[in-house]
Amino acid sequence: MNFPLFKQMIKVNAKGMMNYAFGSAFYILLIIWLYPGIAKNTQALNDIVKSMPEGVNNAFGLNSGFASAEAFISGEYYGLILVLILSIVCVQMSTRLMAGMVDQGSMAYLLSTPTTRAKVSTTQALVLITSLIVIVGVTTLAGFLGEAWFLGDSYPFNGERFLHLNLVAFMLFFAIGGLTFLVSCLSNDEKKALGISGLVAFGFFTIDLVAKISDKLSWMKSLTLFTLYRPSEIVAGQAEWGRISLVLLAVGLLSFGLGIVLFKRRDLPL
Amino acid sequence: MLTVQGLTKTFSNGKGIRDITFTVNKGEVFGFLGPNGAGKSTTIRHLMGFMKPDRGHAAICGLDVWKAQGTVQKHVGYLPGEIAFVDGMTGIAFLDFMADMQGLKDKGKRGELIRRLQFDAHTPIRKMSKGMKQKVGIVAAFMHSPEVIILDEPTSGLDPLMQKVFIELVLEEKQRGTTFLMSSHSFPEIERTCDRAAIIKDGNLVAVKNIHELQSMQRKLFDVVFENKKDALRFRTSGLPVENYDDFRVRVAIRGNYNSFIEEAAKYRIRSMDVFTQNLEDIFMDYYDREEQQP
Repeated sequence: MNFPLFKQMIKVNAKGMMNYAFGSAFYILLIIWLYPGIAKNTQALNDIVKSMPEGVNNAFGLNSGFASAEAFISGEYYGLILVLILSIVCVQMSTRLMAGMVDQGSMAYLLSTPTTRAKVSTTQALVLITSLIVIVGVTTLAGFLGEAWFLGDSYPFNGERFLHLNLVAFMLFFAIGGLTFLVSCLSNDEKKALGISGLVAFGFFTIDLVAKISDKLSWMKSLTLFTLYRPSEIVAGQAEWGRISLVLLAVGLLSFGLGIVLFKRRDLPL
Repeated sequence: MLTVQGLTKTFSNGKGIRDITFTVNKGEVFGFLGPNGAGKSTTIRHLMGFMKPDRGHAAICGLDVWKAQGTVQKHVGYLPGEIAFVDGMTGIAFLDFMADMQGLKDKGKRGELIRRLQFDAHTPIRKMSKGMKQKVGIVAAFMHSPEVIILDEPTSGLDPLMQKVFIELVLEEKQRGTTFLMSSHSFPEIERTCDRAAIIKDGNLVAVKNIHELQSMQRKLFDVVFENKKDALRFRTSGLPVENYDDFRVRVAIRGNYNSFIEEAAKYRIRSMDVFTQNLEDIFMDYYDREEQQP
């Protein structure tokens, strides 16, 4: 870890990071604000959901129902919007932090100073991880704030499970960020890195969606990390959130580690 | 101070460098000459530890540049051939950042360099011209007073005045015992600063010579325009190596034999005379040819 580089990179990326964090916070507040209106019609909504094809409900997380606030949030926000935001952050940032700097050539300056490649890549990985922590952290805080403002005591809200949900969401993107970072570490071309890591992140997401919609394709579950992330099950208390987090943590650590090691050994066209 | 031993690297397209060997002594300014694409930058990238050689090795201050990556850099200042900075910074912010990375505390020298190169360091880098970026790069390479400075095409983009300032800077640093390696595709640029130079072509080192030897090897083209045709004809047939001619004008290629050329030309009334700037291959054409004839 190289502190001046970390500081500089956070400075460069602060604006984008904050935009995503506040965008996410705003969105979750909006969803929570909507909930009281929804809660009045829970029964009717549940009926509608039941009348829809099972696959669609699975895919869009409607099965969690509308009985509790965190169930609603998990379906409406954690199932799709947050996933999209964090996927974009992972793909964009990891590409910019490594492949972008190699492609542009500014990496040459970093490596011409008394710091090792491993330190540079570790620092860049920490910048990405910090951004993920900030975004998920701000979102979590906004969730609790929204609960206090809009829901109060009149609606059920299980804070502990909401925390579990955020933890697993973070771990999922720690793992996916690790993979996109690995791709970025191995690429000389910024566009190529963006393309491949985009394919990884959104490919995982799409495979998960397809596997959920169609029973015949459910074998595809084993091809994607998103299988481990089931917001509706986490808020229902049915998921082994601890074990899942550890698996995702391991995948993430392995990918980040591999990226750092391989970056150290390869030729750089600087 | 800086040794390159049997450095070989082949890229997937078949290009690369083969068996490059040379040594640069402490306090020496070493030129690295070659046409574009000859392998100058590839060699420098190896010296900076960006690439792993297929065979051979390079060392700076006795440290292997690939294995001691991160330690070697304590002794080195570097100006890349293509300048690209971290996004969204001003010149001064970039230099502050580089000073932090280099662990540099004293910013006196930096201010001095900025003053002498005459640029506004507070301009955002993306708004800078090529020459201005080059100046920022030069400051970054010099400001921490490294023992070895490696410069890839240092004067590209600089106007003649700034080229002069740059040469002064190099010579001053040399006085202090700093070792230089600089690449260029222009001989005149190397001529003014270097003690010795290596010539590289198609990935092979063709010669390592001191600068005086190289000067005597270089070929210059003189265009001499005579006042009358008869003189031109006589001059043409005097035995000097004639490149081409027309009625009044004769172009001769001179290599070392300046005296006989001047003596011969002095016999006639001359209307005008020109020296041609040539590219590197032309300057050392005879030399390259001779090398190629030997298997």
